[in-house]
Amino acid sequence: MKARKVKGLDPDGALADNLERIVATRLNELCSFVPKALDPAQVKALHDMRISAKRLRYILEVGAEPCFGEYATTAIKRTRDLQDLLGELHDCDVQLPRVRALQEELRAADALEARARAGDAPDLDPTLASDTPHADCWRGLETMAIYLQARRGLLFERFLEMWRSLERDGFRARLLYAISERPALPAPPPPAPSPEGNGAAPPASLASPAEDDG
Amino acid sequence: MAKARDIPGLEPGLSYREAAARTVAVRSQELFDMGEGVLDTSDIERVHDMRVASRRLRAVLEIYEPCFPRKALRDVLADVKALADALGERRDPDVHLSQLEEFAGAVKAADRPGIEYYAERVRGEQAAGNEVLSAALARIEDTDLRGRLAALAASASPEHDPRKSFGLRRPEGPPA
Repeated sequence: MKARKVKGLDPDGALADNLERIVATRLNELCSFVPKALDPAQVKALHDMRISAKRLRYILEVGAEPCFGEYATTAIKRTRDLQDLLGELHDCDVQLPRVRALQEELRAADALEARARAGDAPDLDPTLASDTPHADCWRGLETMAIYLQARRGLLFERFLEMWRSLERDGFRARLLYAISERPALPAPPPPAPSPEGNGAAPPASLASPAEDDG
Repeated sequence: MAKARDIPGLEPGLSYREAAARTVAVRSQELFDMGEGVLDTSDIERVHDMRVASRRLRAVLEIYEPCFPRKALRDVLADVKALADALGERRDPDVHLSQLEEFAGAVKAADRPGIEYYAERVRGEQAAGNEVLSAALARIEDTDLRGRLAALAASASPEHDPRKSFGLRRPEGPPA
């Protein structure tokens, strides 16, 4: 899935302002998969949403701490959890067809073997379909297919819960707000005590507005 | 999974260009530091760490895209993506085998021959993935990806002299 183009980036502009634009675009991209991805049959939308979550997470990993408000750091964890869960779901979507394809392949090979055993017989004796070369593999592969199908269902329910929880907690609005915040600059060090020892008056360089270059 | 290294000096008011130069330099170093022993299939975490590093590097190249010369970025990005794909060719079967082993350990004995049959297939994919990865690692050496990344990072810096573009071009080599 191609990422949405981010408009208005300025290489000579401030880092935080540029990253704010990118995060806002990636966040909107992520949220745009709802409601489509809330349908369990929408395998591609779920996969694309995972990629979108990954993109958001990586940009937050770069900019959250140095550039944005506190919630941006929390959002890294939320995004990672979402990405991980969608990744597990995707694994099931990839693995289940592979197991089914392998079952089909072995079934076809065993059917050929049973047919060869029959030779010139007018009909196939059912016993010839027993003890075919892959007979001992059937059960494990079917168990695996059942497991993957059931796990996929369970993980999708968890995904729905997770998404509802993100919505309930105001994930989108809070992150949008956090990326508009800038961390407070560290306080300047306290003035060094004067040689006279009273330490009350600030040095001239700090006290004089004329020295202030903005 | 290795935690991403901090980028020294990143702060909100830093110029986007300077941040690009610093970030790509650190993420590139991370990638090459993870390269040791990745072809060893007995320790699957190495390839995982390098893959994560390659994804992080790719992500920052895309994030800072406007700060780099277009052609040089396109070549580097294509090579980083090719490396990430090759790492994926090895990583996917690594993970899959580990899951199958865990699954086989949890199910009844009568289920195991089928799981083992499947696992044997995946071992073949792992070996093939290792060959793909080996070729990709050789290619990044041949085309001096490390040097080009360093040159690319430097080219984003506000102090960069655009007349000095040495190291940005991909050397001609055998086809990927």
